Amino acid sequence: MTGEIIIQAKNLTKIYNGKIRAVSDLNLEVKEGEIYGLAGPNGAGKTTTINMLITRIKPSEGTATVGGYDIIKDSLEVRKLIGIVPQDFTADEDLTGRENLFMVSQFYDVPKSHAREISERLLKLVDLEDAADRLVRTYSGGMRKRLELILGLVHEPKILFLDEPTLGLDVQTRAQMWNYVKDIRNKMKITIILTSHYLEEIDELADRVSIIDHGKIIITGTPQELKASLKGDIVNLTLSDEKSMEVMKTIQGVLEITETGPNSLRIKVENADKSLPDIVNFISHHGLSITQLTVQKPSLEEVFLEYTGRTIREAEGGEDARKLAMNVRRVRR
Amino acid sequence: MSGLWPLTSRELKKWIRNPTFFITGLIQPIFWIALFGSALDITKFFEGPEGSLAASKILNGAPNYITYIVGGVLTTMGLFTAMFSGTQIIWDRRLGPMGRFLSSPIRRSSIVFSKIISSVIRILPQAAILVIAAYFIPNGLKFPHGFTILDALIMATAITLIAFIFSSIFSVIATRMTNMQSIFGIVNLVNLPLMFVSYAMFSKQMMASWLGNIAQYNPVSWSAEAIRTVIIYGNLTPSQWLQVEQWLGALAALAFGLLILTAILAEREIRD
Repeated sequence: MTGEIIIQAKNLTKIYNGKIRAVSDLNLEVKEGEIYGLAGPNGAGKTTTINMLITRIKPSEGTATVGGYDIIKDSLEVRKLIGIVPQDFTADEDLTGRENLFMVSQFYDVPKSHAREISERLLKLVDLEDAADRLVRTYSGGMRKRLELILGLVHEPKILFLDEPTLGLDVQTRAQMWNYVKDIRNKMKITIILTSHYLEEIDELADRVSIIDHGKIIITGTPQELKASLKGDIVNLTLSDEKSMEVMKTIQGVLEITETGPNSLRIKVENADKSLPDIVNFISHHGLSITQLTVQKPSLEEVFLEYTGRTIREAEGGEDARKLAMNVRRVRR
Repeated sequence: MSGLWPLTSRELKKWIRNPTFFITGLIQPIFWIALFGSALDITKFFEGPEGSLAASKILNGAPNYITYIVGGVLTTMGLFTAMFSGTQIIWDRRLGPMGRFLSSPIRRSSIVFSKIISSVIRILPQAAILVIAAYFIPNGLKFPHGFTILDALIMATAITLIAFIFSSIFSVIATRMTNMQSIFGIVNLVNLPLMFVSYAMFSKQMMASWLGNIAQYNPVSWSAEAIRTVIIYGNLTPSQWLQVEQWLGALAALAFGLLILTAILAEREIRD
């Protein structure tokens, strides 16, 4: 799974109108075969970063290589190598789903018979085979998103860029999209770069994630590492009898124990998955029984809070962030 | 990896599939020839043998006004249809497909040329219908000296060139525009002047002299006159041939210049 480095950005910077620093000195490395997440609030610079990597806009400073090609000098080679699922809909509403797939495959000179075969496979993958010959204008929002997902795949790219794949979808459809993305990764052996401001989406899908805010990468790691860096899953338990609280501290991985009520304990551990069996063993070894047990794991939301000093909702709700996002969007037009 | 063919076939599919667009496009030429041919016909005021001589003189020898005007209406129709190819570029930008095109490994000029080619193709059946309609309406189009394949080819060439010229001008204008109103404003500003400051509807003799002098530099005049000469005279004399060749040559030169300009500007300027 951990392959060679396939995308490398060095000091990537985008300045709009000489003053709005949408992305600032960004460095990142993506390994072949992984799902790499870019997480952060709206206006953090995720889409601008993606747009530079897919050669849709030119960086103001710095550069990057994608699949070994420079995004400025060899932009055409980069475009051949990558598939894109942008935030906005790009399918032609007056054509059918299948016709859209076929048109895009021709942009990449995919031989016709092969294009038909891939289209069939992809339509099946996202459960659109029944709607394939309907005009896209008749599709629901979720169907259009699914079509966008496979429009980025008809030429079997090595790298897929997914920009906010579930933006504006309801919870059910979002979970469905996650399954499709996982399917694509498993079946197509492809590197995926995913941006999202839904942190649980990054947590669910990404192998590694960079948290990005104000155009800068704050921290990078696997979601597990990032959450573990917060030092603390919480195990809440209630015992049938009150005893030997102090002794429990000797269990490996236990950081802190507080009494939360009669017979109730709140145990902070490094990793609940590892410590829980020890705790349970310890308790039964001492002849006690558990009446209630819950495990609380930190989410990426808390990671974001820890490293940026605010929650992602505050970051998005903030007047500054909203203004910046709007300005960037306006000048991009 | 040029992308020209998939993009052009997309445009044509959309055209054929949109019944309103398709049918109105086919009815329009019939309206035009019937309305313009009747409304603007001033030769009805000339009476008697002297009158018909005078009428023939201001109509460059055409037997009636509709015969005179067909070249002009064909050209104007090409002009009006072509001017709207810019709007298609703006739609693609606003509705999203442009983002997909720009991030694909296709030539960026293909995006613009697909609009130009499809608008040229759309005009040709309209032109054929217009000629047929003009022929069958009462006191309509007459070919005093017959009609040959060569005549048809010259007509088609003139219309193709006019459509190419104006759709490339308006496509280039649209490459960086996001606002539909702006392009409609420009179209409305120039369409009627282009039509009336030309020999499309009236001959030079009927115009104020200054207007007639300006009109001779309008490509609309060149196309209208070339088609008209072929229709009225049939077998052309060497000097008439030379004149037709000059008009078509000027149109071709202009079209070629615009082809180069469009290729360069589209490659460089087209934005999301």
